[in-house]
Amino acid sequence: MNDEREKAILGVSDREVLPPAEGRLRSFWRLFRKNRMAMAGLAVFGLFLATALVGLVLTSGTDPLMDPATVRLQEKLRPPLSKPNLAMLRPKEVPALGVYLFGTDDLGRDVFARMLQGAWVSLTVGFVAVGISVIVGIFLGGIAGYYGPRPVRADRVGASVLLTLGAALLFTGSGVTGGAILVAGHLFLFWDLLWGRVPLLREKMPWVRVLRVPLFSVDTLLMRLVDIMLCFPSFFLILTVVALLPASIYNIMIVIGLTSWMGTARFVRAEFLSLREQDFVTAARALGVGDLRIIFRHMIPNAVAPVLVSATIGIATAILTEAGLSFLGFGVPPPHATWGNILSDGKRFIFDAPWLTFVPGVAILVVVLSFNLFGEGLRDTLNPRLKERH
Amino acid sequence: MTSKRILIFAPLALTLFLLQSYLWVPSYEEQTRGNPHRLEEYIDGSIGDASLLNPVLSADSASSQIEGLVFEGLLDRDENLHFRGRLAKSWEINETAYFYVNPRARVPGLGAAEGDRLAEFIREAVRKGASGETSLARSLSNIRAVSVVPPRTLQKNFREKDPKDPKKTLVVRVRAKAPARIRLDLKTVDQDLFTNLGILLGKEYFSSFRAADYVAVTGPVPAERFSYYARKILPAVEHNPVLVFHLRPGVRFHDGHLFDAGDVKFTYEAIMNPANLSPRIADYEPVKSVEVVDPLTVRITYKRLYSPALGTWSMGILPEHLLNEKALAAEARARGLDPRKFSLRESRFNRHPVGCGPFVFREWESDQYILLDRFEDYWEGPPNYGRYVYRIIPDLLTQEMEFYAGTIDSYNVQPHQVRRLKADPRFQSFSGLSFGYTYIGYNMRRKPFDDPRVRRALGMAIDVDKIIRYVLHGQGERITGPFPKQTDYYNHNVTPLPYDPEGALKLLARAGWRRNAQGWLEKDGKRLRFTLITNSGNDLRKAVLAIAQDSWKKIGVDVRTDLLEWSVFLQERVDKGDFDALILGWMMGIEPDLYQIWHSSQSGPHQLNFVAFGNREADDLIAKIRREYDFDRQVAYCRRLHEIIAREQPYTFLYVGKWTAVLDKRIVIKRVDEAGRVHYEKIRPTKTGNYTFYFNRWIKLPEAPGFAMDG
Amino acid sequence: MFSFIARSLIQKVITLFFVAVISFLIIHLAPGDPSQVDPLNPKFTPEMVERFRSQFHLDEPLHVQFALFYKDLFTGKTVSWKDNRPVLDKIWERFLNSLPLFIVGTLLTWTLSFPVGVASAIRRGGLYDRTATFLSYLLISIPGFFFAYVMIIFVVTRFHVPVIGMETFGLNASSWLHAAMDRVWHLLLPSILGATGGIAVLSRYVRSQMLEVEGQDYVRTAKAKGLPEDQVHYRHALRNALLPFVTMFGLVLPGLIGGSVIIESIFSWPGMGRMAYEAILARDYPVILTVNFLSAVLVLVGTFISDLLYLVVDPRIRL
Repeated sequence: MNDEREKAILGVSDREVLPPAEGRLRSFWRLFRKNRMAMAGLAVFGLFLATALVGLVLTSGTDPLMDPATVRLQEKLRPPLSKPNLAMLRPKEVPALGVYLFGTDDLGRDVFARMLQGAWVSLTVGFVAVGISVIVGIFLGGIAGYYGPRPVRADRVGASVLLTLGAALLFTGSGVTGGAILVAGHLFLFWDLLWGRVPLLREKMPWVRVLRVPLFSVDTLLMRLVDIMLCFPSFFLILTVVALLPASIYNIMIVIGLTSWMGTARFVRAEFLSLREQDFVTAARALGVGDLRIIFRHMIPNAVAPVLVSATIGIATAILTEAGLSFLGFGVPPPHATWGNILSDGKRFIFDAPWLTFVPGVAILVVVLSFNLFGEGLRDTLNPRLKERH
Repeated sequence: MTSKRILIFAPLALTLFLLQSYLWVPSYEEQTRGNPHRLEEYIDGSIGDASLLNPVLSADSASSQIEGLVFEGLLDRDENLHFRGRLAKSWEINETAYFYVNPRARVPGLGAAEGDRLAEFIREAVRKGASGETSLARSLSNIRAVSVVPPRTLQKNFREKDPKDPKKTLVVRVRAKAPARIRLDLKTVDQDLFTNLGILLGKEYFSSFRAADYVAVTGPVPAERFSYYARKILPAVEHNPVLVFHLRPGVRFHDGHLFDAGDVKFTYEAIMNPANLSPRIADYEPVKSVEVVDPLTVRITYKRLYSPALGTWSMGILPEHLLNEKALAAEARARGLDPRKFSLRESRFNRHPVGCGPFVFREWESDQYILLDRFEDYWEGPPNYGRYVYRIIPDLLTQEMEFYAGTIDSYNVQPHQVRRLKADPRFQSFSGLSFGYTYIGYNMRRKPFDDPRVRRALGMAIDVDKIIRYVLHGQGERITGPFPKQTDYYNHNVTPLPYDPEGALKLLARAGWRRNAQGWLEKDGKRLRFTLITNSGNDLRKAVLAIAQDSWKKIGVDVRTDLLEWSVFLQERVDKGDFDALILGWMMGIEPDLYQIWHSSQSGPHQLNFVAFGNREADDLIAKIRREYDFDRQVAYCRRLHEIIAREQPYTFLYVGKWTAVLDKRIVIKRVDEAGRVHYEKIRPTKTGNYTFYFNRWIKLPEAPGFAMDG
Repeated sequence: MFSFIARSLIQKVITLFFVAVISFLIIHLAPGDPSQVDPLNPKFTPEMVERFRSQFHLDEPLHVQFALFYKDLFTGKTVSWKDNRPVLDKIWERFLNSLPLFIVGTLLTWTLSFPVGVASAIRRGGLYDRTATFLSYLLISIPGFFFAYVMIIFVVTRFHVPVIGMETFGLNASSWLHAAMDRVWHLLLPSILGATGGIAVLSRYVRSQMLEVEGQDYVRTAKAKGLPEDQVHYRHALRNALLPFVTMFGLVLPGLIGGSVIIESIFSWPGMGRMAYEAILARDYPVILTVNFLSAVLVLVGTFISDLLYLVVDPRIRL
C-alpha cells in the first residue's frame, strides 16, 4: 500500500524502476564474467557448496550412507586409495565407496567421509559467523549513519546505565543490590517520562532540564563502541573467549561473528552518511516515508555491495580462524568434524601419515582461495570508480 | 627514476641480506657429530617451561624435573621402590602414645585408679606379658616405657564462622584443666594399641572418658560445639608417631655452606608458613613438631597415625642461610621493597635456586632453556654429564625433528612414533608402566549407575584390549584397581573384565534393561540414555570417548558425548557432580593412601570421590591403610580393598599407559670401579620402570658401543 | 588543532577505560579458576583453595578487584600469579624477543608490497597483475600452521640447518657477526610467515590506490603531455597514491605487542603471543589483563598518530 503511494508520488512506476535494476545486474555479470580468476573462484565455490550439501545428506542421520564416526581401529592410518581389509570388517563398517579414497585416520575413520561432513560444518561456521557479523555491522552501522547526529540525552544515559548495572549485578549474583538498582532504574524512567508529559511537574521542577542536556550523538556512541572493539587484538579476544567458555560449535560461530562486525559497521555508516544526503532519500523523507522503510527499502540495497565483498572474504577468514583455533585445541569439538580439526588432528602424524595433513590442508587452501578470488572479483566489478573505464 | 629504483632495490637488498644468513648457520651435522662438547651435555626437550624452581612453592612437572636435579631430599626410593637414604643416612620410627587417666572407669582387678597406680599396673602387665590374648601380648611387648604426665592447664583458641554474619570469624577461647595422662613409649608404631589395651583396662575405659568435665569455654557456645571443643583439646587417646632422621655429615650446598638439621626444620617451616601458599602444605599438616636434636639429628613428631608421612621427606631441602628472615629482609631492602610484605614467593631464589643436588643451577631463559652444571662436590660423587639442559620446544612436531637431528637427547615421544623409532639402529628405546590410569567413572548418585550390574555390563561392552592395541599402539596394560601396577599393593589375583557384549546384554537384562524394536535398551519404557564427557585437549581420551560411544551403541545404549574445556569440565561438571559418566585419569602416588578419592566421606561437592562411591568395608580399610606403618599388613589391606573396588566397578578401569622413551644408542651408563677401571653398561629400566634411575652415571660416547648382550 | 588533540585525547582515555572494564569483566565472569588452584589434586584441600583465592583477591567483589588490579598496574606492582614475577618485567622480556620478528616482518611487508602493488596497477589486467593477485591470495589462503610445517620440513630435510628457536641452540659463535647472522637466519622463516598476510593485503591496497590516482585528471594530463611512462607513474601518480599510507604507519604500532601464537609456538619463539596464550590457559589474570591493556593503549596511540599524520599530510583537512 505504502509502496504504491510512494511510487505514485515519486512519479515512478514498477516498470520504470525495474529495468535499470535488471540492467545493473546484467552489466555486473558481463563485467564479472571477464574476470577469469573470479569465475574460477565462483566455480570452486559452487563445487564446494554442492559437496557440502551432498556431504550433509550422505553423512547425517541415524544410519548414514557414509558414517564419518565409524571407528575401525584395525584399519588405522591406511594410505589413500587403499582397499579395506574385508575379512576384518563387519558389513556395516565397510566404506561406501569400497575404497578409502583419502585414507583413514588414527582411529581408522574414513577421511573421505570426514571431509564430506567437515565441508558442511566448515561452511556453516563460515556462513553463520559472517552472517552474525554482517547483521550486527549493518544494524549498528546503519543506525550510526542514519541517526548519526541525533543527540543522546543525559537522562537516557542515566537510565540505561542503571538498568545495565542492575541486570549485570543480578546476573553476577548480588541479587538484592542488583534488583534494587533495576527497580530504581525503572522508577527513574517512569518519572522521567512523566516529567516530559505533565506540564505541572515541569513548572515545579525546572532543574530537571539539566538532565535533558544532550551529551553526545548516536554516531559518537556507536563509533566509540567500534573503537573499543578494535582495541582488542581480535585473535586473542576470540581465543580468550573460546578458552574460557565451554567449547561448542555455536560459541565459536558467535564469537567469530561478534568480533568481526566492526569493518562492516564502518563502511555501512560511511555509505549511509553519503546516501542520506542524496536526493532520492530526501524526497522519500519529504513524503513522510517512515525511517525503517527508508533504511530497508532505499538505503540498504544501495549500501550492500561493499558488504557483500567483505562478507565473501570474511567467510574465508572465518574458515581459517577456525583452523587456527583447532591448532591450539579450541576449535569445533567432536563429534563435528571440520576441515580445521581434521588438519590439526592429522599434524601429529605428518611423518607417518602425511595425507592426514595434506588432504584437509590443500582442501582449505583451495576453498579459501576461491572465496578470496571471488570476493576480489566482486570488488573489482562493483567498484563504480573503476567500472567506467571498461 | 629514483623512486622506481628504490622500490626495486629495497626489497631485493632485504631479501638478499636475509637469505645470505643461511651461509653462517651451522648445519645439524656440525652441531652434533662435529662438536665434542655435545657429548658432555644432556639436552632434554620439553613442551612447557618451569614456573618456580623452589620445591616448596611449585608442584608442576616441569619445575619438579629441574628441582629433582638441583635439590636433594632426605630420602628417596631405590630400584625396588623401597626407601633409601640421601641427605639422611638412616632413620627410625617409633611412637609415643598418650591417654588420659579416666577416674570414671573401673579397671578389672584394680578399680578406679590414679595415674601412678595405673602406670604401675601397666608396667606390671608388660613385665608379665599377657597370656592367651595374642594381640594384647603383641601390643604389650611393644611398650618400651610407661610414665605419668602430671595434670596441667591447657588453653587453645578456635576460629569459628559467625553464624549471624558468615564473613566474620569468631574466636572461641577454650581452657582445660587436663587430668593426669599416661605416656607410653613404643618400639614401633601400633595402630591397635588402644583396642588391645582395652582388653587389659576394660572395654569402656577410653570411650567413657568425658573431656567436657575438664573444659571451660568463654562465651555462649551450643552444647554440641562445646563437646567438640572438649574432644579436640582433650582427646581420650593420642598416637604420636615419631620419626628421627640421622643426617649425612659433610654434605654441602652448591654455595659451599654445610647442610645441617636447621635446614630441614627451615624447609618444614617454609612449607607451613601461610604466606608462602605452598601446594605441599597438606602433606605436612599432620606434623606436630620438628625439633633439631643436634646438627645431624632431627626428630619429627606427628599428631596422629599417618603412614604416608615418611615419603613426604623426599622433598628437596632448602638452604636456610639464604632464605631465613634476615636474608629475605636484606633482599627486600636491596630491591627497594617493603621487607615486612616480602615473602619467599617473591624471592630471587626461585629463579636462581641453590640446593645440594647433583647439578648446580646456572641460567634460565624463560621459555627457551634452563642450564644446569655438574656439582663437583656432590656427596655421592659428581655426575658424568658436565651439563644438563632443559630445552623448551612447545611444538611436538618440531621437537621430533630436533630429536632426529640430534640436537635434543630426549623428547616426549608419542606412542605411534615409537614403533618407527624402534626400527632405527641409531636409537635405543625403553618403555615401562606409568603411574597414571585412565578410567570411565559413573555417577552413582544417578540411575541407572546405582546398579553395579549396569556398571559391570558397560565395562564388559568395551574391548579394552583393542583400545590398548590400536589407540595406545600397544603402549599400555589393563588395570583392575586403583593401585600402581608395579607396587606390591596391586592385587594381581583380580582378573580384568572380559570383553563380552553378549554377557553384558544378559547382565543388563537381569537389571531390567531389554532391547526394543529399534535395538535400543529399554526399561519401563525409558531408553538407556546418558552423556559421556571428558576434557578437550587430550587425544587419547578423545579416542576412548569415540570408541566407548561406538561400542555402547552396538549393545543398544544411546550415548551422547561432550568434550569440555578443562576448567569448565572441572568446575561446572565434576565439582558439582553434574555428569552421567566421564573419562578421566588419575596419577597415582606410590603411597597407597586412597582417602580423598575413595572414602565415602569425600563425595561432597568439590571433593574427589565425585562418583560417590561408598562401601562400609572399603571405608574401614582406607582408614586403616593410612594408619598402618607395617608394610606387610598395609599390603594385605590394600589387596582386599582392591578386590572390593573391582567387584563394585564404580569405574571401568581401562588401562595404565606406558611411558615410552627413546635415546641415542651412544648414551650408556659409565661406572668406575675401585681399581679405576671404566665399565660401560647398557641403560636398562629398573624393575619399577624408571630408566633415568642411574642418570648421574649416564654419558654419551662418540660411537655406539657394541655390547655383548646387545641383540 | 589543539582542540582536536585535546578532544581526541579525552575520547581515547574514555575508550581505554571501557576497554579496561570490558576485558576485566570477560575474564572474571568466565567460569574457571587460576591453574594454581588445582581442584583435582588430592593434596588441595578446600582451605588451601580458599587461601589462594584470598591471596589473589578473588573473594572480593568485582569492583574491588578491578580497583586493586588497576592500582597495582599503574604503580607497576602487578605480579604474575604463575611465578610471582612482575608482569611488566615479563612483558618487557618478551617484547624484546618479539621486536626483531616484528621489525623484519614489517620491513618485508612494506618493502615488498609497494613494488608488487604498483607494478600490478601499471599493468592492470595483464599477466603480471593476475599472477600477483593470484599469488598474494594464495599466500593468505593457506592455513598458517600448515604452511609453517611444510616450510620447516622442507628447509630442514633439504638444507639440514636448524630453523626453530631464536638462535642455533648451543652455538658458540666465534664472532658477534656470526652470532648476529645466525639470529637473522632464525628470523627468516617466522617473519616470512608473519608477513604473508600483510603483503597480500597491503599490495592489493597499493594497487587500488594507484589505480584510483591513475584515473585522475592530472595523471591523464601528464600522460597526454607525452611525459615518459615511468615519470608519470612513479613521480606524479605514486607520490599522491602514497599519501594514505603515511597515515598507516600509526596503525602498525599495535603489532608491537601482538604476536602470532601459532607461529611462535611452532618456531619455539619465546615471544609475546605465546606468553599471552599460556597466561590465558593458566588463567593468569594479571598477565592477560596487562597485555590487553597495553595493546589497547598501543591501538589508541596508533590511531591518534595516524590521525595526526593525516592532518599533516593532507592539507585539505582542517580541523
